[in-house]
Amino acid sequence: MNVQFKKGVLELCVLVLVAQEDRYGYELVAIISEKFHIAEGTVYPLLRRLTIEGFFTTYLAESPEGPPRKYYQLTEKGRTYMNDLVMEWRIFTRGVNQIIEEGIGL
Amino acid sequence: MNRREFIDELNALLRDLPDKERLDIVADYTEHFLIGVERGKSEEEIAESLGSPKALAREILAGYRIHQAQSNASVGNITRAVLATVSLGFFNLVFVLGPFIGMIGALFAFFVAAITLFFAPLVFFLQYGIPNVSHDRMMMLFASMASCGLGGMLAIGLARLSRWLYRQFLRYLQFNVRMIRGK
Repeated sequence: MNVQFKKGVLELCVLVLVAQEDRYGYELVAIISEKFHIAEGTVYPLLRRLTIEGFFTTYLAESPEGPPRKYYQLTEKGRTYMNDLVMEWRIFTRGVNQIIEEGIGL
Repeated sequence: MNRREFIDELNALLRDLPDKERLDIVADYTEHFLIGVERGKSEEEIAESLGSPKALAREILAGYRIHQAQSNASVGNITRAVLATVSLGFFNLVFVLGPFIGMIGALFAFFVAAITLFFAPLVFFLQYGIPNVSHDRMMMLFASMASCGLGGMLAIGLARLSRWLYRQFLRYLQFNVRMIRGK
């Protein structure tokens, strides 16, 4: 898939995954790269930006095995932002799908 | 590339960042390596999937420069933000550097015009000294005073326009960095 497209979608995916439950970076990267191919390193600058913009807060938590993990938690502001993006995404995909269906059928 | 090499290279490339921020970023990637290894991946595999430290560093630096230019407006800061964004890809040479140079050029030309208009009375006095009452000269004096007022207003307008353009251009950079990040 085209890179430009994925970049915008990546933000949406990260927001939705963190909305589901608090998650750490590696986990997010693993879930997303299972679905589609990304340069995994770019998830971290994205997480940083979303944190700086106040959509996430972070905390460190010990893990039974291995190093402590930095968890990301969605803020209220983040939830509002995510809802906006999800709505935009739905409108967008509905439009695209309609065009495809009318064009080449299901 | 193993963990050490990846982290060292990234760390070196991010030397312009404040220490706290740089260490924070490096810690994120170190955590990623440690968890990956714990789950049975090799350091080389993990480094491979993360992507090149160069590309990552360029992206991180562009974000940082834009943030700097936002919180601290200056010509130097926005120039650094533009250059960092341009380094993300050839595409940006045309779509970022081009408009930026055009904008700076146009603003500069208008400022020069404003300054020239503003100093017209001074030029008049330098040329003719204290005016005698000759009709032509008085006309010229009044014209130069009008020009001075015009230049002053133009300069004020331009200062506002520059500030507005500065903010808009940064927003465009931000949008650009979000859309075209990556390979």
